[in-house]
Amino acid sequence: MNIVVCIKQVPDSDKVKVNPETGTIIRAGVPSILNPYDHFALENALKIKKDTGGKLTVISMGPPQAVEVIKLALSLGADRGILLSDRAFAGSDTWATSYAISKGIEKIGNYDLILCGQMAIDGDTAQTGPGIAHHLKIPQITFCENVSIANGKAEVSKLVDGGTLDMQAELPALITMTMPSDYLGIYPSFLDVFDAQDKPVETWSAQDVGAEAKNLGLEGSPTRVDKIYAPERKVQGEIFSGSANELADKVLEFLKQGRFIK
Amino acid sequence: MKKIDSMSRNLMLESLKRYAQKHISFDFLREHDAENKFPAELLKDMYDPKVLGVHLLLIPVEYGGLAGSTSDIWRICEALARIDLGIATGVFATFLGSDPLNVGGTEEQKAKWFQKIAKEKLFVAYGATEADAGSDLVSLRTRADRVMENGDIKGYKLNGSKMWISNGGVADLYTVLALCPDGPSWFLVEKGLEGFTQDHHEDKHGIRLSNTAGLSFEDVFIPKENLLGLVEGQGLQQAQAVFGYTRLMVAAFGLGAGLEAGETAVKYAKQRVQGGSPLVEKQGYMHKLVTPHFVKFEAARAYIDNIAKKLDVDNHGLATEGAIAKYYATEAGNNCAENAIQALGGYGYTKEFAVEKIKRDVKITCIYEGTNEIMEMTIYRGRWQEHLKTRGTYFSSMGDELNVVHQKDANLGADSIALGLKALAILLEECRAQRLTRHQFVTFKLGELIAEAEVAKTFCEDLGNGVIAEGSKFDVETLKAMARANAKQVAFKIASEGMKLVLGAGQSSAQDLMTKTNFVAIQDLQRGITEDLDTISSKLKEIF
Repeated sequence: MNIVVCIKQVPDSDKVKVNPETGTIIRAGVPSILNPYDHFALENALKIKKDTGGKLTVISMGPPQAVEVIKLALSLGADRGILLSDRAFAGSDTWATSYAISKGIEKIGNYDLILCGQMAIDGDTAQTGPGIAHHLKIPQITFCENVSIANGKAEVSKLVDGGTLDMQAELPALITMTMPSDYLGIYPSFLDVFDAQDKPVETWSAQDVGAEAKNLGLEGSPTRVDKIYAPERKVQGEIFSGSANELADKVLEFLKQGRFIK
Repeated sequence: MKKIDSMSRNLMLESLKRYAQKHISFDFLREHDAENKFPAELLKDMYDPKVLGVHLLLIPVEYGGLAGSTSDIWRICEALARIDLGIATGVFATFLGSDPLNVGGTEEQKAKWFQKIAKEKLFVAYGATEADAGSDLVSLRTRADRVMENGDIKGYKLNGSKMWISNGGVADLYTVLALCPDGPSWFLVEKGLEGFTQDHHEDKHGIRLSNTAGLSFEDVFIPKENLLGLVEGQGLQQAQAVFGYTRLMVAAFGLGAGLEAGETAVKYAKQRVQGGSPLVEKQGYMHKLVTPHFVKFEAARAYIDNIAKKLDVDNHGLATEGAIAKYYATEAGNNCAENAIQALGGYGYTKEFAVEKIKRDVKITCIYEGTNEIMEMTIYRGRWQEHLKTRGTYFSSMGDELNVVHQKDANLGADSIALGLKALAILLEECRAQRLTRHQFVTFKLGELIAEAEVAKTFCEDLGNGVIAEGSKFDVETLKAMARANAKQVAFKIASEGMKLVLGAGQSSAQDLMTKTNFVAIQDLQRGITEDLDTISSKLKEIF
């Protein structure tokens, strides 16, 4: 079973702030991490590899420093790491990104299963995974809580409103993974990190993967980010004072007036 | 030989952080702190090569370790201290205990014992300190008498006792310094030997998750192959060879614990609203209790990083620099923790908030691995020799170098610290001419001023060269504001406190000293400190 996991380096979202004057993200002091959904997808891929054998390849697209998340994946047990890095990719939206990654996966070739995180926490679009499946013309199942391989098919539990849906897909297929709300990613031991230093990370350009320039970057992106801003907090709190009994009465009155209770 | 690269170092730091998130809650720490309990299982888990293998950093690659460089180990020490200084001390004790083996062991000894430490996750303890031999190891009393057989040395009998030994009651293996007929020597001592007993775990003020106990030896037989290096009398040189390195690790403890307290204070100040606005927006609160500590931490970080890179080239020596780092960073950490309690008010005084525990914990960094007063003396001695050797130009030449830095970038405060260094040279010369260093207090104070001067110099110089210390969370402009504010304050401190010292102990003329130290120029350069501290305070609010 040859698996490809698509991963992305993202700023740790708990710590990201937007400068209200310039509308830009304040990056100083904000650590970069492996997108948690991708982390979960990678953990699932490692389990499948343990059961079925085969080769696990991770692929990412980003600036040269994104090599850090590939090294993390290699430390955790991935066999091969590929970074798509080229100025031609800069400014790509989810459509152009999924095109570029699909070209990278075509170059990897001989894959049975592609796992992606449901979405990246810095964009929340959930479009790149489905976009890759579209470009590769393979089946896809999104928002899966788990994935396993049985009888040559991918079996998943897909999260839907009010429950889960057990589904199967013929291989090759692309699965996007959601994760438990309290998920803390697995981490490698110091020795695993040290050993992974010997595993090379391959860097591929647009030309290497045969991606056409007109489909990449700003030119190849049908969508544009107009502005990034933190929503202004408009609701003012109300402060009551008085004795405990008076306060209880005031809160009760407030709740009734607001029709929160009858 | 394969070395850990910087990306791997960061991945290891991330693994350690995630491990702590999963397994070391504040409640866990509080409970163990309250019960004075050593978390043996947790530490064995952290030593497990399949989980983290944190102890492998000090073990050479050929014996199953990672051969961590000084740069690797100080970063891990900082991260450990941010988790808990007791746990950090437990790990450090294994590092320290393995050091004599690293420095003085034969290849056979290293192969045998390092592989055991790596695979069997051994806790190691460093047995040097005695009741009358703390920082003064020459006064050592534990004896190792030769046991002869047919005219050959068969082994040694240890007699004596040790005290304040980290991991003392829990270690599987001890490196013990004892006096042989040919001088002090290190021995490898396994637990459970007949006549070897461990005292009770000390009831300490802080680092209560670290086991500390005395050791007693009564006719404990040690085979001759457990004498490190198989030659007697090498012990003190072996101990001193790594002081630069080990003190840098304690410096990282002061930095890590202090930062944890400082960041807790900033986060609290962002939430706590008093008089209509959060405390973090109040200049007096920040400038008095919070901001200056972060300036010192970044200065300390720059210095530790700089010395670590030098020690990466040669892991020995730099004892004075190690003392400067240890003294400066641990004083900064301790002072910040003290003010963090004040910054949190009543909350800070309760055990519900981490700063109370950090304050108790971090105090030890000013005491162990040589008290900070010993550090002041070590710094003074090291640099006094340089001052004499260079006929008083050691610090004034440094000042000239900083003037060159100022020519390249006038925003670093290098002009201030250049004046401070030149003033320091004048003050040392006054001390020499009037023989003021016969007063012990003068030597302590000079040690303090030298430490401040050299740290400020490195902070400015490295920034001027575009070097940002590893682990810094600040952008270049904020770091420059910090370097400026620090340089100005340090120059003022050297001149004012140095003059007070010389005037108090000697016969100098105040007017004459003011002129020679260029005190008015130093004062003139104080302008802008408040603005710089305002800038730094805003940045603290933004990034934490």
